[in-house]
Amino acid sequence: MKNGLKALSFFRNVVFLKWASQIIFLVGLLYIIWSYIQNAVVNLEQTNIAFSWGWLGETPGVSIAEGMYTLPNSGRQMIQVGMLNMLRVTVTGIFAATFLGTFLGIARLSKNYIVEKTSTGLLEVVRNVPLLVQIFFFQAFVLTFPRLEVFDVGTYNLHVSAKGIAFPWLNRQPTAYLFWVYLLAILILANRIYKWRVQILEREGRETRPFLWSVGIFLGLLVAGWYGGYRIMGIIGFLAGYISTGVDLLPAIFYQILFSSIAVFIGFKSTKKFIDSKKSEEAQGIYSDDDYFKIILNVIVVLLVVVLMFSSVGLGLSNFLVGDEIVFKADWGVPQFFDGVNNKLYWNPEAKIVLDPQLDGMKRAEIIDWIAVPGTEVTEGDVVARATAKDLKGDLNQEISIYAKYTGVIEEVFVSEGDTVKINEKTYDIRVTDSKPLELSRPRVEQIGTTKFKRYADGYGKSLSVGYFAIWLGVVLYTAIFISEVVRAGIMAVSKGQSEAGLSLGLGRGALLRLVVLPQAIRVMLPPMGNQYLNLAKNTSLGIAVAYPEIVAVGQTLYNQEGQTLPVFLIWMAFYSTVSLTISTIINYYNRKMKIVER
Amino acid sequence: MVDLIKKNVKSLQESLFSSIGSSVLTIATTYLVINFFRGMLGFALTSDKDWLAVLNNMQLYMVQAYPEEDFIRVWLSVGLTFVLAGLSIGIWRSEERVKSSQVFNSFFKGGLGVLFFTIIAPTNASFMGNDGSVITEEVFSMDSRLGILIPVVVFCVIFFSIRFINVKFTVNSSDMVFFYLFIPVALLWFVKLPTIQLDQNNERIIPDPIMPIASSTKIPWTVIFVSFLVSYFIGMYLKNIKSIKSIMSLSWFLLPLLIFSWIFKKPQIDMSLVLGSDLPIFGVFLLWGFLVITFVNNSIFKKYYSTYLGVTFLLTLAGVFSGLPMLAKTCLLLITLFSVVVPAVSTSSQGKRSLLIVWAVALVTLTFLLRGGASDTGIVVPGSSIFGGFSLTWLLAIFGTYVSFPLGVLLALGRNSKLPIIRIVCTGIIELTRSVPYITWLFFASVTLAVFLPAGVEFNLIVRVLMVTAFFSGAYFAENIRGGLQSIPKGQYEAADAIGMSPFQKISLIIMPQALRAVIPTLVSSAITAFKDSSLVTIIGLFDFLTIGKTVIGNQSIPVNFVGHDRENLIFVAIVYWIFTFTLSRRSMKVEKKLGLGER
Amino acid sequence: MSIIQTKDVKKWFGDFQALKGISMDVAEGEVLVVCGPSGSGKSTFIRCINRLEQHQEGQIIVDGIELTNDLKNIEAIRSEVGMVFQSFNLFPHLTVMQNITLAQIWVRKKNRAESEEKAMELLERVGIPEQAQKFPGQLSGGQQQRVAIARALAMEPKIMLFDEPTSALDPEMIKEVLDVMKELAKSGMTMIVVTHEMGFAKEVADRVMLFDEGMLVEENTPEEFFNNPKSDRTKLFLSQIL
Repeated sequence: MKNGLKALSFFRNVVFLKWASQIIFLVGLLYIIWSYIQNAVVNLEQTNIAFSWGWLGETPGVSIAEGMYTLPNSGRQMIQVGMLNMLRVTVTGIFAATFLGTFLGIARLSKNYIVEKTSTGLLEVVRNVPLLVQIFFFQAFVLTFPRLEVFDVGTYNLHVSAKGIAFPWLNRQPTAYLFWVYLLAILILANRIYKWRVQILEREGRETRPFLWSVGIFLGLLVAGWYGGYRIMGIIGFLAGYISTGVDLLPAIFYQILFSSIAVFIGFKSTKKFIDSKKSEEAQGIYSDDDYFKIILNVIVVLLVVVLMFSSVGLGLSNFLVGDEIVFKADWGVPQFFDGVNNKLYWNPEAKIVLDPQLDGMKRAEIIDWIAVPGTEVTEGDVVARATAKDLKGDLNQEISIYAKYTGVIEEVFVSEGDTVKINEKTYDIRVTDSKPLELSRPRVEQIGTTKFKRYADGYGKSLSVGYFAIWLGVVLYTAIFISEVVRAGIMAVSKGQSEAGLSLGLGRGALLRLVVLPQAIRVMLPPMGNQYLNLAKNTSLGIAVAYPEIVAVGQTLYNQEGQTLPVFLIWMAFYSTVSLTISTIINYYNRKMKIVER
Repeated sequence: MVDLIKKNVKSLQESLFSSIGSSVLTIATTYLVINFFRGMLGFALTSDKDWLAVLNNMQLYMVQAYPEEDFIRVWLSVGLTFVLAGLSIGIWRSEERVKSSQVFNSFFKGGLGVLFFTIIAPTNASFMGNDGSVITEEVFSMDSRLGILIPVVVFCVIFFSIRFINVKFTVNSSDMVFFYLFIPVALLWFVKLPTIQLDQNNERIIPDPIMPIASSTKIPWTVIFVSFLVSYFIGMYLKNIKSIKSIMSLSWFLLPLLIFSWIFKKPQIDMSLVLGSDLPIFGVFLLWGFLVITFVNNSIFKKYYSTYLGVTFLLTLAGVFSGLPMLAKTCLLLITLFSVVVPAVSTSSQGKRSLLIVWAVALVTLTFLLRGGASDTGIVVPGSSIFGGFSLTWLLAIFGTYVSFPLGVLLALGRNSKLPIIRIVCTGIIELTRSVPYITWLFFASVTLAVFLPAGVEFNLIVRVLMVTAFFSGAYFAENIRGGLQSIPKGQYEAADAIGMSPFQKISLIIMPQALRAVIPTLVSSAITAFKDSSLVTIIGLFDFLTIGKTVIGNQSIPVNFVGHDRENLIFVAIVYWIFTFTLSRRSMKVEKKLGLGER
Repeated sequence: MSIIQTKDVKKWFGDFQALKGISMDVAEGEVLVVCGPSGSGKSTFIRCINRLEQHQEGQIIVDGIELTNDLKNIEAIRSEVGMVFQSFNLFPHLTVMQNITLAQIWVRKKNRAESEEKAMELLERVGIPEQAQKFPGQLSGGQQQRVAIARALAMEPKIMLFDEPTSALDPEMIKEVLDVMKELAKSGMTMIVVTHEMGFAKEVADRVMLFDEGMLVEENTPEEFFNNPKSDRTKLFLSQIL
């Protein structure tokens, strides 16, 4: 009886059942996905909007309210603006929310009744109201201020109108990037010096004044840097120029081969390591079904990557990386990136001078003659060209001069005499030879051309649009509240026994918090803090509700133009995944570092 | 009494002025807080705010364009909820008692609060006019300040001194709910506020007449309050019936389904469908269940039981992906589950009878709800949906949870599975879903999802939103539940294996109940987040609570012009959301404490 | 005739070989005590018998059924073998009564009344009928372990496996559990007991085994094992624990 049934018994074999059920599941899932894709293909054919990426290269014909380029020349550039706008809120927001959240978290632990209750009250209000309602409220708050047109032209210290909020700010000059890099470098140097002096102190036991040393050197270098020394960082741009040229010479196939080889190499390495572990004397090379699956999966993944790399996807990716000007008229490739670094971080960084945007209403200008030619040295305020500005119909002409905005050497002229250029289009590049990296300026209200409309002048102070203000304040406050909970929980987790130990050593409350509790609490706080940062990044997408052009809003504008909803959705997914992955990688890095310190 | 004050003063001094730093902090914070409230009061009272924009639009806020002749249905929905709440409070009546002094103390504190605001309220407040000039006006005259101050002071003094009279009077804490609800219902009758009225030419009568607030709603609310009270007493009476608590939980689950499919919807029932499709399906499955129950002890049935189960399961799978009516699909799922459960429950003839009753009731309920849900509505509204305003917000919140929770459980189990392919797929789904913000999924629902559906199949936008919400909230629920699953020790799995349980039994009887219990607080906070997130549908143009306040009233110029009064409406919307989320989170904290989960 | 037979059972955890070829027989009604230092593979071995762990080579035959990947065989063997764990592994969300009736209802398909009757009978046998409606968390360790024994017995197994049943208990509670086990042994149950309680071994065991580094070092009657051990390893082991 038993033997008779043996032929059928594989149906009851657990290993067989396990894999059979999984394969059925996978096949079913793939079938469902496939059938939905088929639906999509049929439906898209019927509506005459075939799935394509072509729109990335086309000029979208819409403008963006704010960002790096307000009149993007391609779909790609438009998305780039959206991404940068999103990152602008995310990065500044993370710092602000961390700062505010830590402050609130500590306030909630205060022994002072009023301080504690006030911060708890704030927490309960902000946490229990939907973020979107808060953002709408901040928007409505600014929007109900009078229109900008009712205010006089002039310079203000702080100005609020329905157009936004403006306040004094350190305005960046072309050399600012160079200065930031310099600042970062001397900060790291000061930190190193501090550690070095502490090392000597610990080794030799004599007073080495580490704090004095590092601050002294930092201040010294800062002063030296401000008066021109920062230009030493131009070496980075100098080197980047060579890298750019080098990468430019690479053909696309190089990346295809490179990536496939890397995939094969990694796959081979990990599989070999796995097999080796099984080959050891004791394991005697016995594999379970799961082990076989692991090996097969490795092979499949590697094969998939290789096939993808040599298909159109891989070619597209490679073209993208080498910055192929034909397929991608983008400024996004690797050589373009290094080229950008070369321009921004050269000792005489390059600045683009655009036709004066004060001439709104005037749409075009015809260049009459160039006074400056490449190689000429100009100082700020020199007339470099004369032009005739025209309005849309072309019947209102006005002769204008184009002035140099910086002192430097003319690098390249983009238009020749007799050409008509659009306002806001760059007319020549200049190598800046003499300017301070930052300048303090106050906001200015100005008339737009001869119209009755007004605006905050570009390059004077800082003006925040209503959307930016609302979304920024909204996400910062909302995240800060959640961070304050994280901080409070972290401190509570540590403080019980540790506080007593610290107090018994005679530390004051402040010193106790700074030296004993916080360093330990940070370890507890990091993972939930990372989650809050991820939430902040995702919440910036609500900017669309207040007309702030971040990636989602820009994507929506684009698909309203082109009808390509699916590619836009894929871009959103890829972008947000990248941002999330970056944030969690950074948090994990610090998490690991903290754990090593612990040991 | 003097001692008490001395003691209080001393403890205040210790907490507020213990050191110079602390004193500075106290003064600075107090200054900030007082000025904040002064600003808020001034903001609320200046003449450029029109709070009638909120008051006059309550109907819009709650049900949007639901026709007035069918309002009885709305009141019935609210009433049923309150009746069920009354029953529940009666059944779960706590034995906790509140001392009268505690109640008086809270009155005293409330009075102090009003006193505080009356004293700090600014006499003059300013706002910026349209021409950029600053306008300052009197918002709170000395007379009205005194008019409030004197009675409140008297009120405070009374309740302050009454605490010292030794009254040994205590109230059941459940009874207090009715007292607290009684106050607003009574206020409906007495408090009078300006109301907008229009004359024959549809012009606003100015000055606005002063009438009891919401004069149109005071009668229904009173009726609801009374039935609430009555059902409370019925609940107390029903308390001792066996398994009443599980029946109540089930009713809470079914109530929203009933409200949204029948009461609120007013379905137009097509009798030919009921007779031609529903009844036969109902009959077939009733018979099927009956046969299973009858033959459960039969030795032949027992022998081929596993074969029967397998065939049923395959039939269900095939049925679910076929073009059968929704009712048949659901019934197939139900009969599979039923066939699994029955052999474990019934053997005695009495057990069999009650099982049959349960099966019949379940089938009737299902048929009833699905027929209502699938039929066209008899309510005529301008626009696409009969749900709008608060009713839509609730619909999204409740059904969002209904669909996402089971999916979350499945995804969590899949991600925790030992089967590698299933684990990889589930991890992929969870991570991909979570990596993008909710709003992009809503756009997916509103513009992209239709592309993937077969030609001819179209879903209402609300249904599509619920579909993506199922995945989005489901992924978050899954991560929470996975946390719970990871907290279950390995020994529990082994013990279940050792007593011979099947994987399905192991998960449903041993692992899941423990895992879910461990993560109740995080599940509640996820549900609160989902409730708050439901406001995002305003961006894709659904008319939820927030949309009404922000867009509809903000653009309303006929018959009364409310353009530019966004801030008042947003504040009102915020307050309503706040009340619900705050109450929910406080309740969950209490439950958490009861379960002893907060303490480790 | 032997009810459990193992032939050359081997088991690896990755690189580490936990069992290096165990062959043995257990007769029906026999009480077998397995001892050995920690990490010697004794727990792994008895967990292989009802397939909580999967052996990779060799044969395990329980009551004439070979333990293979066949689902039917695994189910059949698990229903004949009861197991008691070191850490009790009671289901904390169920009452004592529900813990014992659960498997009877869902696995044995008995009805509720019948299984509750059986559960009460077993609770009386282990001496705690009054605790039926309590939750495991409200019981002492010794009581919990007795409930665990009752839970295993409720399945009416032919063989009981005990995986260090007393090592997580306070000394005063060990006795109450051992008493139940002794009573069980006397009733003729086949038992394999992994334990360090040498008193128990002397009193009720029919045979004693010593495991070391995944191998069966010594197999002997209790008298011989304690008084006249064959191998030096056993002598060393006994000198350390006695």
